Amino acid sequence: MDEKIAPHLEELTRAFGDLEKTGIRAEFEKLLAFRVPPDVAKESILRKFGGKRKVLKVKDLFNNLKNFEITGRILDLGEKTIRPQEGPSKLYTGVLADETGSVMFSSWKELPGSVGDVINIKNAYTRIWQNRIRLSIGEQSLVSKISDSVLPPLSELSGSQTKKLIDIGAADFSVGTVVCVLQLSHREVLVRGRQFRIVSGVLADETGRLSFTAWIELAGIDIGSIIRIEGAQVRMFRGMPSVNILSSTKVSSVEPEEAGKLAFTFESAGKDPVPLKIEEIDSRDSMFDVAAAGNVVSVRPGSGIISRCPECGRVVQKANCRVHGKVESVRDMRIKAVLDDGTGSMSVMFPRELAEIIYGKTLEEAEQLMFSDIFKDAVYEDLKRFLTGRYLAVRGNSSKGEYGISFVAENAWVPEDDLAVRVVELLRRLGPDEGYGQDRDSQISSGGVGLA
Amino acid sequence: MKGMDRTGIPRFRVEESVLLKREVAKRVFAKEFEACRELEKSARPDSDNVDLKTPNLLISPLGLVLNRIFAVGVITELDSIGTQSEMWKARIVDPTGAFTVYAGQYQPEASIFFSAVQIPAFIAVAGKARIYEPEPGSVFVSIRAEEANVVDGEIRNRWVVDTAEQTVERLEAFSDALASGYHGEKLREYLQEKGFSFELAEGISIALERERSPEEFAKLLRASVREGLKTLDFDSGDSRGSKADQKEFVLELLREMGGSRGVDYAAFMDVAISRCIPEEVVEEVIRSLFADGQCYEPKIGIIRLVG
Repeated sequence: MDEKIAPHLEELTRAFGDLEKTGIRAEFEKLLAFRVPPDVAKESILRKFGGKRKVLKVKDLFNNLKNFEITGRILDLGEKTIRPQEGPSKLYTGVLADETGSVMFSSWKELPGSVGDVINIKNAYTRIWQNRIRLSIGEQSLVSKISDSVLPPLSELSGSQTKKLIDIGAADFSVGTVVCVLQLSHREVLVRGRQFRIVSGVLADETGRLSFTAWIELAGIDIGSIIRIEGAQVRMFRGMPSVNILSSTKVSSVEPEEAGKLAFTFESAGKDPVPLKIEEIDSRDSMFDVAAAGNVVSVRPGSGIISRCPECGRVVQKANCRVHGKVESVRDMRIKAVLDDGTGSMSVMFPRELAEIIYGKTLEEAEQLMFSDIFKDAVYEDLKRFLTGRYLAVRGNSSKGEYGISFVAENAWVPEDDLAVRVVELLRRLGPDEGYGQDRDSQISSGGVGLA
Repeated sequence: MKGMDRTGIPRFRVEESVLLKREVAKRVFAKEFEACRELEKSARPDSDNVDLKTPNLLISPLGLVLNRIFAVGVITELDSIGTQSEMWKARIVDPTGAFTVYAGQYQPEASIFFSAVQIPAFIAVAGKARIYEPEPGSVFVSIRAEEANVVDGEIRNRWVVDTAEQTVERLEAFSDALASGYHGEKLREYLQEKGFSFELAEGISIALERERSPEEFAKLLRASVREGLKTLDFDSGDSRGSKADQKEFVLELLREMGGSRGVDYAAFMDVAISRCIPEEVVEEVIRSLFADGQCYEPKIGIIRLVG
């Protein structure tokens, strides 16, 4: 081996493992053949394939992740030929699972394994496809088969995993859980021209809540029932998981004796959610029916009076709908505000009913303001004056997108926790006076609170 | 705090892929804020991924890493310092010290606000933390306001309590870190195991390497926060919120009745009582206005607002 390139190869080996198997060696030689200096060649390979990368588990995946490493067992694998006109190109799709969950993948290259095998993917990335996270294996990904893996066997991974509601996410397909039914209603829906009678509602355990839809009869199950669900499908809708109960799903009542041992009861699970730190909401892809509180640090443009298409409800400009063309638009009011509690920030959407409550003006009153003022943004300006800095608590659903958390409020109020109680607790945590720096500060303090 | 950190995968390294994520508006008292220094891009753990889009960060002696801040306090001074273009400089006082706030032509919303605001008043400001170091040893830390608004005493009290809570958490993590004797990576792991966020664990470990006498500032801040909390006034009965409102109302009423030209105290009292404000509250407000130098008695029995 050439003296000059040895240290670089060593470094590449540290970063990628076996250079021959992964094809890095060939890549490196190719660059050298083009007279690229060895250290530059090393740099560009490290950049291309990602030298320092994170190792993730399936449950850690979310949209738009790049350059990470993941190991999993192939649960399902298929191939399809696409773009035949540009020469046949094959896309391999399937499901990859580890002990934390399973995820759909698509690969542009043939995989070195088949169903049941464990593979390691370096430089993988993620995309959202059909409302779900998809693991993508591209041209620049390195895939290798791992023969001796500690991952659970196929039979175990492919079965439905029992989870708490808070752990159910976009990485799950089939789950099992023990929950309490909080809400339940029947309705008729039309799917592909056929009438279906479905049951929908809300499930809860001690960790959180999720909505569910059952396409089968749920005999003997009603609000307050504690049930065991096995083999339910997880469906994603607007970034929010929902439990789908199908004919293949097993639903059974939990015996009172066993239910007594659970960490929740109908009463405890049905309590209003306690406000969370926004930081905590930020650590999850989505959360169903949670509460948070913070200050309105910004009222976003697009708040105030808007026009919607009467057909589809889309926001329209100059009475022109993107889909329905020229329409007789209807007025609506909404508020988009950034709520921040110092640990995290989220964009909160208040639909009309809530906007009217927190703004203290109805749509009609706001319209009058709009017509009486020469500025077309009069309502927005008024909203900013009214809301910026205010303290608000909200309850609703959160989901994470490219720009952070978006939260759709279903309820909003001004929190009234007792500040005096919190002050007593804080003084206790601060400990006794040390008689230090007191005189210095008292002067400023009295100036600061003189108005209170 | 929980989810991602448990796996040992640092938060902001994973989230760097999220585009244009909004910076959190940190809650910090003026005393800690003005002691902040620049966190050089090269000093960050993720320095490989730093590029032009990476926000400027400051770090406090306690390890708080911040870019945006949300502060509520009393605006006590306001100057128009712009020559060619509009530029406002305001001083906002909290129980521990004062924030210097700027708003110029690139902060049109905040500039409009400052051009019309009455002094003194409780105001809320959200903005970016800026640091200016004309020469070594003289550092000016300020807020470049993005949004500003007048708020009531209730919101101000709540801000003090919220900020105290987050400061106390930081102080506790900091003392814990000092007591542990760990440094660097070991300290980060230790703090995260204790349930503190990755960001704070990281910040504290950086701060400890920089500070020459870290305990000193913690002690100072602790005393300052304690004093600040004690000056909060909502212990007179259960009508805490409504009382704050009543005070605002008294002040408003005084202005309305021509307080800046002078109002007969007895007549003012009658009007206030007729509007269901208890006599004690009126007296208290007037007394505090006197104490602050916001009103004076040009003739006996006449009160007059300053400005």
